[in-house]
Amino acid sequence: MSLPLDMWGFNNPVGLVTLTKRELVRTIKVLNQVIWPPIITTILYVLVFGLGLGSQVRAIQGVPYAAFLIPGLIMLQVIDQTYGESSSSLFQGRFMLSIQELLVSPLSAVEIVTGFILAAVVRALVIALLILLVGFVMVHTLPQNWSLFFGMTIVVATLFGAIGIIFGLLAEKFDHIAVFTTFVITPLVFVGGVFTSAKFLPPVVREISFFNPMFYMIDAFRYSFTGRDDVPLGLSLGIVGILTVVSLGVALRMIGMGYKLRV
Amino acid sequence: MNGSHSGESALRVTNLVKRYGDFVAVDGVSLDVADGDFFGFLGPNGAGKTTTINAIVGLATLTSGTIEIFGHDIVREWRAARRLVGLAPQEYNFDRYLSIRDVLIYQAGYYGLRGAAVRRRADDLLERFDLHTKAGDTFMRLSGGMKRRLSLARAMIHEPQLLILDEPTAGVDVELRIELWDLLRELNASGTTIILTTHYLEEAESLCRNIAIVEGGKVVAMESTEKLLGRRGSTLHVTLESPIGGLLPASIAARKAAYDATTRTLLFPETSPKAVAAILGDVQAEGFTIEDVNFARSSLQDVFLDLVKH
Repeated sequence: MSLPLDMWGFNNPVGLVTLTKRELVRTIKVLNQVIWPPIITTILYVLVFGLGLGSQVRAIQGVPYAAFLIPGLIMLQVIDQTYGESSSSLFQGRFMLSIQELLVSPLSAVEIVTGFILAAVVRALVIALLILLVGFVMVHTLPQNWSLFFGMTIVVATLFGAIGIIFGLLAEKFDHIAVFTTFVITPLVFVGGVFTSAKFLPPVVREISFFNPMFYMIDAFRYSFTGRDDVPLGLSLGIVGILTVVSLGVALRMIGMGYKLRV
Repeated sequence: MNGSHSGESALRVTNLVKRYGDFVAVDGVSLDVADGDFFGFLGPNGAGKTTTINAIVGLATLTSGTIEIFGHDIVREWRAARRLVGLAPQEYNFDRYLSIRDVLIYQAGYYGLRGAAVRRRADDLLERFDLHTKAGDTFMRLSGGMKRRLSLARAMIHEPQLLILDEPTAGVDVELRIELWDLLRELNASGTTIILTTHYLEEAESLCRNIAIVEGGKVVAMESTEKLLGRRGSTLHVTLESPIGGLLPASIAARKAAYDATTRTLLFPETSPKAVAAILGDVQAEGFTIEDVNFARSSLQDVFLDLVKH
């Protein structure tokens, strides 16, 4: 089968911006789902675990437990929402055929992927700043290293935006999208260090968590707040970087060959 | 052919094959549609019309063959090719998150167009298609006819030179259908090449200058509408006063006559004056009394049914 050679090339900036805008319009239409879950869950977690239970826990990585929680909660929401953004948008587009509006237009695969990812990044930044605001009000914590804070938010949003594209294309039913969240993303994030430092885990569990990619993301992101890490920052950044490049490559390839799109 | 055009090809499909596993949906289709033409693309359900169209507009990959739009290969020069085509698909595929005005403006955006000129064009199209009162609504709040019109408006937002309309009047009432026909004629007269698929053969007969008929993924006819209709010629209808009992007399059967018992009418494929005189003589010689004589021009439906054997 001959493939369309519309993989590469940024030649349609207006098209790319239009797609990003369209994705953000869609986000705004479901604004309640975007804004409230991060705020409510953060308040609940901080109240129950951070301030309640956490008052009995000594400082972790040199900060009170409630402050330790905030970066983990940001990652939790950023991962969840960026995956949700691109996977459900693509799946809905396939299901309702509206994706054809893009497919007949002169947009390349790299432009389409970039449009979805940019929208995911904007959504992630809004969520990160919202949770940061809640965290600042409740436990007076702020990042020490803003470029790492923004850099990691953008990279993780890119990674899960790309994974969302992949699963938005693979899914045959809307359920399939939720299956990946329930069985992969949520468990890995929860055991990946949102609630505790790897140092407190039993040695066997600790060894296992080194195979959990979320562990590196959360550890590197938390570094922007605490200045401390469980594994070297460079290693975490390297692993997250490689995963991002691979996921982007797969998403790009799938869109480029029109997987389940150009039939 | 439209006078303002040079007669180059708007669309050239060469040996297009599209296979899904063992199933061959399109089996070596070649089409040539001249710039400015109004071209009918007909065939029964499952003949490969929509698959061919999907291949042309980039919604389906090609198994083999080539497609050129105004000389631009849709694979090698896909950007240039896609800018020149507008599609109004059979199934609605509108963005449900946007108002219908934004559906037009965003679609233009995907084609790289923006600004006040695009907004003006969107408003003009909404006005022209009598959709302006619904501009702020999503497409789900439109009636069936309005959705069809929106589909056309969206296909035209980037001013394509080639419009492909996949059953644009399906499920549309007679009044609106005639309105759409006028609109399409007007568009074509202003220089837009139009390719139309339809199940209403009288629609193709009335609108299209050239017609291709596909069946089983193959083109079985591609000619001017006039020639296609001439294939069968017209028919001579001779109605008799009393019915024919039993077989047709040999002299009449020899003239390839068909007999419609319900109307007591003999149908002859020949209509030249000489043949008519001879036929009428034969009929009377066999002892029949003629009640009425008529000529019927064959319709596209007759030709279509001749070509497409089920």
